[in-house]
Amino acid sequence: MSATEVVDGKLYAGASVRRHDGDRYLRGRVAYTDDIVLPGMVHAVLVRSELAHARIVGVDADAAREQPGVLAVLSGAELARHAGPIPNAMDPVPVGGQPIALHCLPVDKVVYAGQPVAVVVAETRTAALAAAELVAVSLEALPVVLDAEAALADGAPLLYEEWGTNLLLSGTAGEGDYDAVAAASDHRIDGAITTGRSAPAPMEPRAYIADWDAREERMTWYGTTQAPHPLRHSLAGYLGLRERQIHVVAPPVGGSFGYKNFGHPEEYLVCLLSRLVERPVKFVEDRMSSLRYGAKDTRMTFQAAFDADGRVRAVSCALLANHGAAAATGAFGMAFAASLALPSGYALEAFHGEYRLAVTNKGPWSPMRPFGKETASLLMERVMDLVAERTGLDPADVRRRNWIPADRFPYATTTGLELDSGDYAGLLDKVLEVWDYPAARVEQTRAREDGRLLGIGFGFEVLPEGADIPGALIGASDISTVRMDPSGEVEVLTGVTSPGNGNDTAIMQIVADRLGVLMSEVRIVQGDTERCPFGFGNVSSRGILTGGGSAALAADDIAVKLRRVAGAMLEVDAERIVLHGGMAAVADEPERALPLGVVAHSLYTIGGILVPDLEPTLESTRTFQMRNVRHHPDEHGRIMPFSTFSNGLYVALVEVDPATGVIELQRHVMAHDCGVMINPRFVAGQFTGGVVTGLGAALDEEVVHDADGVQRTDVFKSYLLPRATDVPRFEMVHQVTPSPFTPLGTKGAGEGGVACSMAALLNAVNDALRPLGAQVDELPLTPERVLDAILEARA
Amino acid sequence: MSTETTIRVELTLDGVARTAEVPSGALLVEALREDFGTTGPKLGCATGDCGACTVRRDGEIVKSCLELAAGAQGCEIVTIEGLADGDELSPVQQAFWDEQAFQCGFCLSGMVFAAEDLLRSNPRPTDDEIRWAISGNLCRCTGYEAIVEAVRTAARRMAPPAG
Repeated sequence: MSATEVVDGKLYAGASVRRHDGDRYLRGRVAYTDDIVLPGMVHAVLVRSELAHARIVGVDADAAREQPGVLAVLSGAELARHAGPIPNAMDPVPVGGQPIALHCLPVDKVVYAGQPVAVVVAETRTAALAAAELVAVSLEALPVVLDAEAALADGAPLLYEEWGTNLLLSGTAGEGDYDAVAAASDHRIDGAITTGRSAPAPMEPRAYIADWDAREERMTWYGTTQAPHPLRHSLAGYLGLRERQIHVVAPPVGGSFGYKNFGHPEEYLVCLLSRLVERPVKFVEDRMSSLRYGAKDTRMTFQAAFDADGRVRAVSCALLANHGAAAATGAFGMAFAASLALPSGYALEAFHGEYRLAVTNKGPWSPMRPFGKETASLLMERVMDLVAERTGLDPADVRRRNWIPADRFPYATTTGLELDSGDYAGLLDKVLEVWDYPAARVEQTRAREDGRLLGIGFGFEVLPEGADIPGALIGASDISTVRMDPSGEVEVLTGVTSPGNGNDTAIMQIVADRLGVLMSEVRIVQGDTERCPFGFGNVSSRGILTGGGSAALAADDIAVKLRRVAGAMLEVDAERIVLHGGMAAVADEPERALPLGVVAHSLYTIGGILVPDLEPTLESTRTFQMRNVRHHPDEHGRIMPFSTFSNGLYVALVEVDPATGVIELQRHVMAHDCGVMINPRFVAGQFTGGVVTGLGAALDEEVVHDADGVQRTDVFKSYLLPRATDVPRFEMVHQVTPSPFTPLGTKGAGEGGVACSMAALLNAVNDALRPLGAQVDELPLTPERVLDAILEARA
Repeated sequence: MSTETTIRVELTLDGVARTAEVPSGALLVEALREDFGTTGPKLGCATGDCGACTVRRDGEIVKSCLELAAGAQGCEIVTIEGLADGDELSPVQQAFWDEQAFQCGFCLSGMVFAAEDLLRSNPRPTDDEIRWAISGNLCRCTGYEAIVEAVRTAARRMAPPAG
C-alpha cells in the first residue's frame, strides 16, 4: 500500500504502509556513517593484542611514526594523559557489581585477544594499516581463563586485579520458600542448559567520525549509535566539554540489535584523536572486530517441583554467565534482566534464582536482543517439557495449566515485575487454529515407527521491555516535537531513533492520522542532537512506545488548534470538525470543508481575528512517560524497571537425522502479542528477524576460542549466520492484547522471536531424540553435539 | 602524504565513462567507494561472505570485495545506484520496497542483484530457487521471509501477460 492510498474513512495506523524512504534505500542513496567523507578527514586503525591476557610491557611506535602519511601513533598509556576512563552506559556498582573503569585503550594490560593496544592515525586507511604493522607491542603473557566457573575458582588469574575477584555481578531474585513448596509437591526434576556465545553481528560494522573544530571548540560526531543524546552526555563527561559543545549525528545504521547503543571505546577514541591531530578522524571496524563482541554464554541449572496434575509449584535456579572482558556498554545488565524475566509468564508459588556474572579472557559482552531474556524462556520452557515428560501430559496442556490466567493481569511476578496484560492461552489457541497439532503428533508417532526422528517443541516468551533504569540514561519516556508550517506540511522530530525497523514511518502514520493529513505531507527527523528533542534513542523496544506516544500527544495539541480555527472559519463548534484526508470538514457535512493548508495559513496570518485567545502557532513538544515503572523499592527491595511485556508462543517441528545429527526445521509456527500494531508488516519484520537470530543461536552461531583464548570464529565463514536456505517459511499469527498503560495500546516489538525460537528448537530436538533416550542441553545444537548425544545414549 | 603506488582505472560506472587513480592493490569495492565516490556497494565483511558489496561487472554479478580494482579496467560496472531507469525503480527494487523486504538496507546491493540475476535466467522461480539464489548474501534484519516475497512479487510483475 502506498503512502497516499489511505484516504477515505481509513487510518494509516494499523495499515501496512510501506516505508516512507524506501526509494532512497533501493537506489543506494542512503548515507551510512562510512559513506560520509569530510574535508581533510584522516583514518584511525587499531593495533591489536595477539594474546588474550598479558601485561603491556611497551609499545614501540617509532618506526610507524616515520611512515609517510602518519599523523599520530598512540598507546593506551599515552592516551591516558589526555583523558580518563570512559563513562559507563550503566554502572554495575549500584546493583552491587564491580566498578568498571575502562580506558579507550588499555594502559597496563590486555584482557582478551584482539583487544586494541595502540592506534595509528594516517592520511589514508591504507597508510594507517601499513604503519600499524610496524608498531611493536611488547607483551608479557599471563595465564588465561576462559571458562566462567574456572574464573570464579580460588586462585584463578584475575582480569581486574583491583577487584580481587572475577565476579562482576551477582544477585538473587524471586520470593517464596522453594524448599518448603518443593517438600509439599508430588515430584521434582532438575536439569541444566548452556547457551553458546552469540555475536550481535549487524551487517554494518561500527563506524565513527569525530570532527573537532578548534576555533569554535566544538565537536561534531557522526556514527553508528542507537542513542545520540545519551552518547552526547557521555562524550561530554569524557572529554571535559559541555554538552552544548558536542553535536551528535546518527546517520542511518545498518542494523544494531543492541550492539550500537553506546559505551564502545572507539566512540570516545575518535574524539580524542580529532582533538589531538585537529582533523576529522574516521574509524571503521572490520568484521573481525565486530565478531569479538558476544552475548549469552550462560549456564543454567535448575530444579522444579510439581504436582502429578502437571502444576508447577516452585522453581529454583542458578545462572552463571560469562561476560568475557568488561565493557562500558552496560552489557552486564543482561544477567540482571535474565533474572528479572524469570519465571516468565508462569504462576508459581515460589521462585528462587541466583545469578553470577564472571569476567573471562573472551571478548566483551555486548548488549544484544533480547538482552538476556532468552535465559528465562529457555529455562522455564525446558521445565515445562520435562514436567510433561514426567507426568505423561501433553506439553501444551502443561503450559495451559501453568500460565498466568488472562483475567489476573496486571500480575505481580515473584521477581517483582508487574506484567501489564496478556492472554497466553489465547496464543496457544491461535497456534492450534493454523496447525493441526493432534495430527502432527500422530504423524510423529508414525514416523518414529519408521525410524525417523520427528520432534515438536513449544517455546514461550514474555519480554520485559520499555526499560527505565534508575541512574542510567535509559528511560521509559521520550520527547517529540510536531509542527505544521503555514502550508500545512508537517515535521516530526523525535528523541527516538530508528535502527532501520521502520519506526520512523510508523510514527508518521500516527501523526498523519491525528492531524488528518496525507503521509506525503509529513516528514520526520531523527538522530540529531541539534535538531531533535532529547531522547533515549532506540533501546528496549521503545520507538513506538515512547516515540510514537509523545508524537501522538504533540499532534493532538495541533489538531485541537486546527479544529478551533476551522470551526471559526466554517462557523461551527470545533468539536464538529473532523480532520481527515488533508481537509478540515464539518462532521456529516463533507462538502463544508477547508484544506488544512488554508486552515494552518489562516491561524498564522489571521488567527487574531478568527481565534483571538489562541496562540497563532502550530508547534508542540510533548513528553510521554510510561507510568507503570517504579523506582522506589518494594518491601523486598525490588524495583519495577520495565513498562511493557509482549509475549509469544512458537512451535517448531524438526526432523533429526540420527546418522549425522543434522537438524531440519520443517515448520515454525509463531503466535505473538505485542498489543496494538501500528504497522503490522513492520512488526512481522521484527519477528521474522528475531526468529532467525534465535534459530542461529539455537543451531549454528557460536563464538569459539582456542585454549589460548584466540578467537577461532572471526569471519562469516566460521561464525555462521543463518542464510535464506537454512530457514523455512514461517507461519505467523497475531494476537492483540492492548497495553492498558500506553495511549495507543502498543507494547514493545523489537526483541520478540529470539527467545521462544531458541526454546522451541531445544524442546523440539529433545522431543525428537526421546525414543533414543538421548538428551541435549547445550546450544547451539550443532550436528556434532546432537550426534554425541545420540552415541552416548547408544553406548 | 603516503607513497602508495596508483594505477589509472577506466571503466563505465552506472552508464558513465569514468577514470580514477586507484591504489594498485585496491579491491574493487574500495576503489568504487573511495576513488569513484559511489556508496551503493557496502563493505560488510571483506571476505565474500555477506554480499553487501555486490555489483554487476560486464553483465555478471560479482562480490566486489573479492575483485581487484585493476581487474575492472575497461569493464562496465553497474551498482545498485544505476539499476533504476530514471524515476522508475527496477521491478525488483520496486518489489523490495512494496514488500518491506529490507530494514537497515545494508544488504540491499547483494539481495537486489541476486534477485535480478535469478529472474533473468529463471522468470518463474520456486521459493526454494529464490532462497538458493539469495543464499550468498546475509541479512540480519528480515529473516529473509520478506525478501523471498519480494522476489516472488517481482517475478509476477515481470512475467509476460498470459496468452
